[in-house]
Amino acid sequence: MPTVAVVFLKEMVDNLRDRRSIAMAMIYPLIGPLILGMMISFVAGSLSAGAGRAGPMVIPAVGIENAPALAQYLSEHDAVLKPLGEEPAELVRRGGAPFVLVLPQKQASADGALEVRLVSDASRLSSVVPIAEMMDLLHGFEHEIATRRLQALGVPPEITSPLHIEEVNVGRAISLGATFLNMMPPFFIFTLFLGGVYLTLDTTSGERERGSFEPLMINPVSRSEVLFGKFGAGVVFTLIALSVQMLAFWTMLHLVPRASLGLMTPPGVFRLSLLLPICLPLALFAVASQIVIAAVTRSLKEAQTYLGLLPLVPAIAGMLLVFAPVNLHSVLAAIPTFGQTVLMGQVIRSESMSWAMIGISGLATLAVTMLLLAIAFRLYEREQILFPH
Amino acid sequence: MIEVRDLHKSFGRVSAVRGVSFTANDGEITGVIGPNGAGKTTILRHIYTVLSPDSGTTLVDGFDARLERRQVQRRIGVLPDVRGLYPRLTAREHVRYFGALHGLYGEGLERRIEELMHTLVMEDFIDRRTRGFSRGQQMKVALARALVHEPHNVLLDEPTNGLDVATSRAVRELVRRFRAEGRCVLLSSHIMQEVAALADRIVIVAEGRIALQGTPEELRRATGLVDLEEIFMAATAGRAEQPALLAGDD
Repeated sequence: MPTVAVVFLKEMVDNLRDRRSIAMAMIYPLIGPLILGMMISFVAGSLSAGAGRAGPMVIPAVGIENAPALAQYLSEHDAVLKPLGEEPAELVRRGGAPFVLVLPQKQASADGALEVRLVSDASRLSSVVPIAEMMDLLHGFEHEIATRRLQALGVPPEITSPLHIEEVNVGRAISLGATFLNMMPPFFIFTLFLGGVYLTLDTTSGERERGSFEPLMINPVSRSEVLFGKFGAGVVFTLIALSVQMLAFWTMLHLVPRASLGLMTPPGVFRLSLLLPICLPLALFAVASQIVIAAVTRSLKEAQTYLGLLPLVPAIAGMLLVFAPVNLHSVLAAIPTFGQTVLMGQVIRSESMSWAMIGISGLATLAVTMLLLAIAFRLYEREQILFPH
Repeated sequence: MIEVRDLHKSFGRVSAVRGVSFTANDGEITGVIGPNGAGKTTILRHIYTVLSPDSGTTLVDGFDARLERRQVQRRIGVLPDVRGLYPRLTAREHVRYFGALHGLYGEGLERRIEELMHTLVMEDFIDRRTRGFSRGQQMKVALARALVHEPHNVLLDEPTNGLDVATSRAVRELVRRFRAEGRCVLLSSHIMQEVAALADRIVIVAEGRIALQGTPEELRRATGLVDLEEIFMAATAGRAEQPALLAGDD
């Protein structure tokens, strides 16, 4: 058996028995899908409060008797005003109602303005949709009254309504769904940089610290063979972590109540599998950078500190892209982690993709990986790598 | 056969080895002895290829440890001072791993592991993971993996360090067996009694230099002293309490 394979198999067996390595590769990747799943469920639950409502919309109100025209308009639009027996602000504050409509104390004159107050708590997410619905009704009523008054003055209807707006209701929900989907690439980046981290730590810093590097290198093996055996094991653990996370995201996206959220169609298995060719070069890059850090640091603890921070750097780009997506061009695609973050977003949102961009991103990342491996090889050649400090 | 010729090595401004030369012959036990920090482990590390000298050469069966590393590595079995075991692997997996790195495989390798298990009396723990092993058990695992490829040259750095009396005696018997088999044995220790009990030739190292070397009889003649411990004290006089020259060295 080639030496690289001997080292690789030993590291796989050794680390499959290590609870920390297993946790990093198979348990931690579940955290992202769980968090995102809970967020989607919570937001969906809050925003869809009115979607499943049976019967008319009930509007708690004060002073109903002073606005008969509004009451009439609302009843024609599947809403009823309900008299309120307590202080409006108090009711809203304790969450008894998303808002209260406060009507004037006396009736307005036929051509006067109706004073209407909407008491609400804007900090409650669950109030957003009911308030928006109420505002739509009020604007509708306002427009109807204004039109009627202008027509009474002889102004034709086309003059009063120069613009006919048809609102596409799903618009807001889709953008929210896209925002959630955009949160997936940063989680993938974290997993790519953390999935194999304990294995890499153990096989370089750990090997040195426990004094096993020295007896290992007395065997008739070249340091590059040892390096590549360990590198291969790190990549496999990283890909296991990525696969676990992909599966968990796929499961989550099919379990959350996306219909009520109006979420975009979640990517299918084939679409998600496109992530693998995008992520593979990044997995190699991540493990190579972990080995360099583990080899250059003086102790296991020091390496743990830096490797814990390592995923933050590439994930920052991804986090920014959640809220400000960019169009990918070749220069951006060539930046390791950045190009992949954008491409992953395109896969997840089921957008069209450019194979050229995938190629540029992969090749550029592989080139940097080769450079990192060359550095790792030089570090492995040093005498100091073998001895604990 | 192991030859060390005018070996020099510095770490930064610290001179760890300063012009060391000696020969360890086949069928003999050569003991390298010196106070803590004298440079014994550094010399051994040059022979077993993990350090490169600033100048000078080390040869194993005529192969240069720096230029013909693989040839040397195939001919040596090393018990380093730090045993360096993998706590999640069993004793058997340790020996199998090193055997595979030497190109051994299949039934031949498994048979060799069984032989070593009996020779080193490892039956009780061969299939246990090494976490929590006693020092004696750790030494046996490290020795078994060093011998799996039946090396002609055996280098033992402080082989009885931390072992109980019975295990130390078993190690000494094993070392004598290596000699009887015609192997070249190079043994490093800071305990004179141990070297005196085993070595055919003694190399006394102090402050990175050879203070004295020869057969026990030659050392007695050279110093006019009978007791080997007295000879050691005389050879390293004023040097024994020097601080360690190299971290990790003893």
